[in-house]
Amino acid sequence: MPKDSSSRIGLLQGTLDMLILRTLRFGPAHGHQIAKHIRQTTEDVLQVEHGSLYPALHRLERQGWIAARWETAQDGKREFKYYRLTPAGRRQLTAEESRWKQLTGAIARILWPAEES
Amino acid sequence: MGRRREARERDLERELRSDLELEAAEQQENGLSAEQARYAAQRAFGNTTLVEEEVREMWGFGRVEILMQDFRYALRTLRKSPGFAATAVVTLALGMGASTAVFTVVDSVVLRPLTYRDSGSLVVAWERVRFLGTDTVGPNLRHADLWRKRATTFSAMAVLRQGASGLTIGTENPRLVGTVTCAPNLLDVIQVTPILGRGFLPEDGVKGHDNVAILTYSLWISLFRGDPAVIGKTVRLADTPREVIGVLPANFHFPNGNALRAFHSGQAASSVPEPAVFLPAAIRMSDFSWNADYGNWVVLARLKPGAGIRQAEAQLNAIQAQVVQAMPADDRDDRPGALLATVEPMQEAVIGDSKTGLWLLMAAVMGLMLIACLNLANAQLGRNLSRHREAAVRIALGAAKWRLVWSVLAENLLLAAVGGTAGVVLAAAGVSLFRRYSPLDLPRLSEVHLNGTVLLFSLALTLGSSILFGVLPALRLLRIPPLASLQQGSSRTLGSRQTRRLRAALIGLQVFGCTVLLLVTGLFAKSLLYLLHQDKGFETGRGAIAEVRLAGKSYGDAGSRIAFDDAVLRNLREISGVQWVGMVSAMPLEGESTIEYLRRVDRPDQQPPLINLRWVSPGYFEAMRERLVAGRFFEERDRNLSSVVLSEGEASALWQNENPIGGQIETEGRKFTVIGVVADSRTTSLKAPPARMAYLHYKDRPPYTTFFIVRGLPPADALVAGMRQTIWKYAPDITIARVKAMDSQLHDSLAPERFQTTVLISFGVSGLLLAMLGIYGVLSYSTITRRQEIGVRMALGATRRKIYALTLGEAAAPVFGGLAAGLLASVLAGATLRKLLYGVRTVDPWVTPIVAALFLAAAGAAASLPARRAASVDPMQALRSE
Repeated sequence: MPKDSSSRIGLLQGTLDMLILRTLRFGPAHGHQIAKHIRQTTEDVLQVEHGSLYPALHRLERQGWIAARWETAQDGKREFKYYRLTPAGRRQLTAEESRWKQLTGAIARILWPAEES
Repeated sequence: MGRRREARERDLERELRSDLELEAAEQQENGLSAEQARYAAQRAFGNTTLVEEEVREMWGFGRVEILMQDFRYALRTLRKSPGFAATAVVTLALGMGASTAVFTVVDSVVLRPLTYRDSGSLVVAWERVRFLGTDTVGPNLRHADLWRKRATTFSAMAVLRQGASGLTIGTENPRLVGTVTCAPNLLDVIQVTPILGRGFLPEDGVKGHDNVAILTYSLWISLFRGDPAVIGKTVRLADTPREVIGVLPANFHFPNGNALRAFHSGQAASSVPEPAVFLPAAIRMSDFSWNADYGNWVVLARLKPGAGIRQAEAQLNAIQAQVVQAMPADDRDDRPGALLATVEPMQEAVIGDSKTGLWLLMAAVMGLMLIACLNLANAQLGRNLSRHREAAVRIALGAAKWRLVWSVLAENLLLAAVGGTAGVVLAAAGVSLFRRYSPLDLPRLSEVHLNGTVLLFSLALTLGSSILFGVLPALRLLRIPPLASLQQGSSRTLGSRQTRRLRAALIGLQVFGCTVLLLVTGLFAKSLLYLLHQDKGFETGRGAIAEVRLAGKSYGDAGSRIAFDDAVLRNLREISGVQWVGMVSAMPLEGESTIEYLRRVDRPDQQPPLINLRWVSPGYFEAMRERLVAGRFFEERDRNLSSVVLSEGEASALWQNENPIGGQIETEGRKFTVIGVVADSRTTSLKAPPARMAYLHYKDRPPYTTFFIVRGLPPADALVAGMRQTIWKYAPDITIARVKAMDSQLHDSLAPERFQTTVLISFGVSGLLLAMLGIYGVLSYSTITRRQEIGVRMALGATRRKIYALTLGEAAAPVFGGLAAGLLASVLAGATLRKLLYGVRTVDPWVTPIVAALFLAAAGAAASLPARRAASVDPMQALRSE
């Protein structure tokens, strides 16, 4: 079920890139699929606006972390621009994941110090 | 590039479309109709154009492309209104040119550090001697000697004195050059090395070994045409041969005698040659006394790294206490604070008072620039009114607001860039003219040139002014409510109340700036008039004066100088039409000099005042047209040399109401009898009250530098030529430093005031014209936009007079407001500039009302034309043209 708007969370600055890269780990996908995947995996908590998705995709493409190609969809009817992870993108994702882990770990230690011990 | 971009654009569009279609398909699966699904998808998707723009920007060419597009658009709109474009460019070019030129001078003279190595640690040390008054003076040599030996805060210290001397290399008539006589280590203190030959050695400063000279680069070029074999050649300075031992680098400039004055009193000499020859000073300390000879030498020193000015000053003051103890008891003044020392950065000493005048010009030119920019802002505001509909349409279509602002700014940037470039070219031309023909004796004039800082300044000015006259109008566009603007007829919205208020504020600011400019101009003009027309006590018309330097062995003894003076005086009398001939020991209007104590012999207890001593020949007072008050002047038959003529002020200070004639005075340890009293005159300076004078007979001590004065029927030019001819005919090897009409000496002595006033008047007039244009523009625009309103008013019974008042009233508030604020501000400005003004008050009973009346008349004239047009509106026609 779609959640109401009050429980949606805006994306943290810079995390969208990481989410896109992570999504592409499962295999090539086009923009609509990426947005849908993020929305469904987070049970509608994270909404990706098109206005930020496409600029982000093109930004990642320019960085050389993802590559794009026009391919016919599995249903054979429409053509979509499919993005997939490049080796450089894979390395970038690993780096961003570990940085994210450090960050969330650090924040957790401040917010819930008791659980640490 | 272009093709790749196009491909990418197509690609992006296709990508977004495919996404949109998929979204619609999914919605349709949820049970919506095809059309509903399409709308729902579009809603979910948001603004496709915005996404496209953002992606485009992300790829980097978006912004540049937009900028270029807007520039092209601006170019097209400007081409459509060539009148506005031309006016704006010319206004900006002139304004920018003037500002850049003035800033170049300010930068080179005031802001730029002196061009010596580590010039920040160079300082000048002065003494403050109680009996000489509050001014700082160049130190006594014995004191400076103790400073040099005992002070530890300086890494090096050198004394120098500036002068001028006739120079020849052969048999030609001598030319006058500036000389710097200095301790041999001066060049080490400023850390400059000759490019040819050597610097001074300590033994050059020993009497008998001091006949050497170092030339500046420019003198070497002009005298020896840059011949490297100059080393070892001989130049004759004041009849003394000296061997050239070195040539200084081309970029080395030393401040001239006016810029680094050892004695500040009265005004600077009107023509001081640039230092061109450096000579070693052979100083024998025993020749100098302990508590006199102040104000001849300058002490230049370099602070040790880490030592501060205050620290150095404290140390010198500690040494001053020891100096007082070293003085012979009968000469000592050991009251506390009788002998102090001050240290100031060399840069400040060199720039001195010229700072205030330069900043004044800078402020004036920036004021003018502000007025011009406000005018352009007003014009742009008017132009933009017709753009309101365009802006409204663009906003309604979803244009980003910054693009709207930018498209207006692009036009202004374009104008400013063209204007600014033209301005820099103008400034370059202006500066080179100024350097060649400067009426001002500015320190560091030879260093004035355009440089990187100046270009940065004009760039900032270009941007600043385009923003100033562009941003306000541009921001106005943002506040347009698109709906209202689109619904209303085009002409009705134009005079919206907010816009009108903004334009009134601009006018008010303009009037304010212009009032201040005009009032300051008025003060300077009146000050100059005062200086020119005050009672001088002497006359300059039909007179000429020649400065002659007697020096060297041939004029070493007084007898030979008297013989020379007598012969020249006799020969000058032979020039046809000459009525009076005289001589004096100091140039008129170049300040006080030869200052001594003078007291009555019968009142030894009287506090002795300081006076100026002058040695004059019979005929001097007549040639100067000075007025006899009592007794008599010197006469040809005088054989008794112990007579003195006092100025009126001096005589009444000494004798009050008694008769001074026949009284005895004492000065320099000698006694003189008063034979006459001459009326007070401003012969030392027009800018100071008459100085106290005592005139002695020239044969008492014939001066080395002699000033011959003639007065007669021929025009001054003929007198000048005649004098030069006569003197050189009698003695071809003598140095004639200058010959000039007395009138030009008078004008030269007021050169800074004349220059400032001329520049200010031109600025003031330009400012006034610009302000008039501004008022006229605003009112005529508002009249056009209010045509229908006026028509309605008239149809309802408003008289033409009422309409007149309505239009004038619109201008009245900003004009009167600006005028009042300007009057207030000019009081502050006047107080800051008090040092530069003579004979005027900051709120002058003449200047203030005249300026206010002038301004109101101008504003009235500018407003009356649109007002008349408004009053002549035909109500029927105005209403019908709806």
